[in-house]
Amino acid sequence: MEFGPIWRAMMRNKTGAILIALQMAVTLAIMVNAITIIQERAQAMSRPSGVDEPNIFYILSIGFSENFNERLAIEEDLAALRAMPGVANAIQTNSMPLSGGGWSMSLQTEPGAGIEGTGTALYFIDEHGLDTYKLNLVAGENFSASDIEWREPADSGWPQKTIITQALAETLFPDDWRSALGSTVYINDDQPMTVTGIVERIQAAWNGWSGVERTMLVPQHTLFGSTNYVIRAEPGMRDQLMPQVEELLASNNKDRIVRRMRTMDETRERSYRDDAAMIKMLTFTVILLLLITSLGIVGLASFSVSRRTKQIGTRRALGASRSAIARYFLVENFLISAAGVVLGAGLAVGLNMLLVEAFDVDPGSLITLVPLAMLALIVIGQMAVLGPARRASNVAPAVATRTI
Amino acid sequence: MLRFENISMVYRTDSVETHALREFSLDVEEGEFVAVTGPSGSGKTTFLNIAGLLERFTAGRYLLDGKDVSALSDAETSRVRNEKIGFIFQGFNLIPDLNIYDNVDVPLRYRGFNAAERKRRIESTLETVGLSSRMKHLPSQLSGGQQQRVAIARALAGNPRFLLADEPTGNLDTQMARNIMELIQSINMSGTTIIMVTHDDALAGMAKRNVHIRDGRVSDDGSSVQLANVATA
Amino acid sequence: MFRYYLKLGWLSIRRNPLLSALMVAAIAVGIGASMTTITVNYTMSNNPIPHKSEQLFAVQLDNWDPNQDDPSSFEPPDQVTYTDAMALMRAKKAFRQVASNRSGLVLEPENPDERPFSVDTRNTWADFFPMFEAPFLYGSGWDEAADENMDQVVVLSQAINEQVFGGENSVGRSVRLNGMDFRVVGVLKEWLPMPKFYDVTNGPFDPTEEVFIPFTVAIEHELPRNGNTNCWKPTDGDGFEAFKASECVWIQFWAELRNEDEKREYMEFLNAYVEQQKELGRFPRPMNNRLDDVMEWMERQEVVEEDAQVMMGLSLLFLLVCLLNTIGLLLAKFMRKSGDISVRRALGARKSDLFRQHMIEAGLIGLGGGVLGVGLTLLGLKGIQSLFGDIVDNLVGMDWVMVLTAIGLAIVSALLAALYPTWQACRIMPASQLKTQ
Repeated sequence: MEFGPIWRAMMRNKTGAILIALQMAVTLAIMVNAITIIQERAQAMSRPSGVDEPNIFYILSIGFSENFNERLAIEEDLAALRAMPGVANAIQTNSMPLSGGGWSMSLQTEPGAGIEGTGTALYFIDEHGLDTYKLNLVAGENFSASDIEWREPADSGWPQKTIITQALAETLFPDDWRSALGSTVYINDDQPMTVTGIVERIQAAWNGWSGVERTMLVPQHTLFGSTNYVIRAEPGMRDQLMPQVEELLASNNKDRIVRRMRTMDETRERSYRDDAAMIKMLTFTVILLLLITSLGIVGLASFSVSRRTKQIGTRRALGASRSAIARYFLVENFLISAAGVVLGAGLAVGLNMLLVEAFDVDPGSLITLVPLAMLALIVIGQMAVLGPARRASNVAPAVATRTI
Repeated sequence: MLRFENISMVYRTDSVETHALREFSLDVEEGEFVAVTGPSGSGKTTFLNIAGLLERFTAGRYLLDGKDVSALSDAETSRVRNEKIGFIFQGFNLIPDLNIYDNVDVPLRYRGFNAAERKRRIESTLETVGLSSRMKHLPSQLSGGQQQRVAIARALAGNPRFLLADEPTGNLDTQMARNIMELIQSINMSGTTIIMVTHDDALAGMAKRNVHIRDGRVSDDGSSVQLANVATA
Repeated sequence: MFRYYLKLGWLSIRRNPLLSALMVAAIAVGIGASMTTITVNYTMSNNPIPHKSEQLFAVQLDNWDPNQDDPSSFEPPDQVTYTDAMALMRAKKAFRQVASNRSGLVLEPENPDERPFSVDTRNTWADFFPMFEAPFLYGSGWDEAADENMDQVVVLSQAINEQVFGGENSVGRSVRLNGMDFRVVGVLKEWLPMPKFYDVTNGPFDPTEEVFIPFTVAIEHELPRNGNTNCWKPTDGDGFEAFKASECVWIQFWAELRNEDEKREYMEFLNAYVEQQKELGRFPRPMNNRLDDVMEWMERQEVVEEDAQVMMGLSLLFLLVCLLNTIGLLLAKFMRKSGDISVRRALGARKSDLFRQHMIEAGLIGLGGGVLGVGLTLLGLKGIQSLFGDIVDNLVGMDWVMVLTAIGLAIVSALLAALYPTWQACRIMPASQLKTQ
């Protein structure tokens, strides 16, 4: 079967072909860009937070009465929590990874105002912090109990020690992140802190932040009125422990309330809910789109078969085999699809540039994605035209001699 | 009332020129019943299409009721067709979605008559063709002869000046054909001019005048004398 | 003739039920997808206070870091410092003005058996209620004297009044917040400005606060804040006083200016104020004060989320695919009717008659697609709700404007799709289809 005659026949009646080709082109453009966004989101969601997510939960405690002695409450609460059976470890802190709300500061390697610093998320923890989160200490050492200080809400001073993440070390000391250990970094323009440890990873509270792994740990308990207790349960104990912890904290001190007890799993789910939703919506859109496009191909091909019934009968009468007739429609569809996906490849790249420009979308790897999508659409087109082509091949040669 | 003066019709494709009519001239007077005959490809259908303002011609002049229609716009020719011309086709060409009543209604709608006037005309023309009882039927529920009667009713409903019939009995058996021809004759008796295209000489014999076309020209034009023969055919 | 064409259209749709269903479905799916995303965008860019939005202005003063950013792209912070908020409140140069911030307090019910619970709080000023037209169920807001005297007064939301007082008129009664007694002066009716324009920093689609107390009281008693706080420079010393004097921004400031003159005068006042502050060593960057009205402000703060915009763009392209589909199917359908069209032409139909007939048929298909599309949109919005959870509850309602928009868009789309097929149908020569059956 040669392409030439089919192409020429098509060009004599090109509107239908053009419509299908255009439809495939726009479909390809949407598909490629939807998949690009899906990949970008899925990649973001797969980043580890660095903490032992399956076993960690946390609860917010808010002191409200004049009698509330926060320091005493924290000491008592931590002692009680750490003594609970099933609790592996517990700390008090200001905020949680991926929770959406937290504290950030600017760090610099030289003292002085007016120096461009590095944005850094920070968590206040005590010497149990690394164990509670199960962080991987890659250099230096943990805080000791004597390092831990108490911080009032509007304090402007900072302790001497800090543990930072490897990502932060790489940003501050681009030549050799290991050199961060023992180095002095400056917070609040000129207050020195010494890096005494480096952990592999603990994510900041904001998943969309470009510096999501730039985190520092500060050896302080906070007296901010409201505070989070982070509890790591022994494996398998988390769900059983949660109501017990809530009851303990709610009843052992009447001058505060506890609320918003959440697992890290739930926090992750909430943090990436938009992204997960986006992935589902885009997937659904692409499937629906392919369905509509296929139906359109089926519809127009069926019309074309019924319009050409007599012509097909004549061909059959002249000796064309069934498979030759079916092949005719498959080849015709292939030519249309090929034109459509080539145009679509251009549209896809154009739309991608537009999205990158207007919305900061990650450009993705179009070089592999576009050819794959082109191939997929051609296959889908062939599958859609299979039914009408089979119907065409069933047209009896006798149709040629009938007048009506 | 219908006058063709040296009308030529040339169909052009990339490589071929086909002369369907060559300087074709013909006069048809009010009240005539003209049968146009000729072999396949002689230009009969082209003549009918031009006479019915369905097609434009290449050269010549066409006067309808003394008016030159070659310069009319598309909308104006539509109006002339609607008001002055009735069509009867070999294949009936009823609209399959519409019932009998609504099929007859089609030209009246384009005429802009009000509902009462349309109803009166539809009912009276269906009465004329003997199908008053079938008004709610769809074309597919009628026999071929009945369908052609509906088509005739549709052609007559607007009181046209003349009827153009293209092989009106071509798809019918002999008995039905005779009934239809009698109906057409009676319509002519009541004053409507009729031009009928056919390749059937026997049928042509029922007309008052026969025009024979060959190679796009009138080759023979005379009164019919074979009326009696058809009745027994 | 319109009714006649409607009837013809309906008959024609019935003649090829499968083809017609395919077209209606294509339009409905396209409309459903695009209207779902359009509704979300529409709600996100809704004008929350339409008749007044041009008289309410978000105030921005640029007290920010001279060393950060590229100087040509200096953007003033979206909130103001305590120092500036108090100076502007005391100056009273606008018709109305309000400085407010987000907070959370703990409410202790009178019944000791009920556990205390936390309530979303706004620390604000007397002008807040008339300025933003908060509707009252009982009582009213407080007056300026209450701000000055630091009266412990409170305005409750309807829901909190329901919870604490069983929905009774609680004006004059007392509520215990963070260990302090507050006297109820008013209870709001249901009030949900969407977006919450007066504090887009802390969540433009968050629900309205549950209690409102005087800003001055919150400062005096150092009640907790829980909104966004941004600092570019270390505070000078420890403690709340140092924080109050710092360059940290955490307060939303709004002014009501009734006309261009008032706006111009207020801008002059702001410039003079910043000029004077510069002499005291503050405001190191070039003068860059801003007054944005509600809609300008929401645009500048990019309240409509990018994801929503991307989805809307993609779904409109989706609609385009559905329309290309419909064009093809209509073309097939009208071509199949070419016999009828020839007959009608022979019987005297003008091209314009046939044009109208077929556009009306397409319009009917569009109407069907639109009605079905509204159903699919509701389904789509339900889907979005189940994907995003409670955070989008306020974004997924479809008002009558959106319903009409959906049906209108469907009909217009169908008519656009029908233009080419109809033009082709009208071009059918009257004689072409009469001879053959």
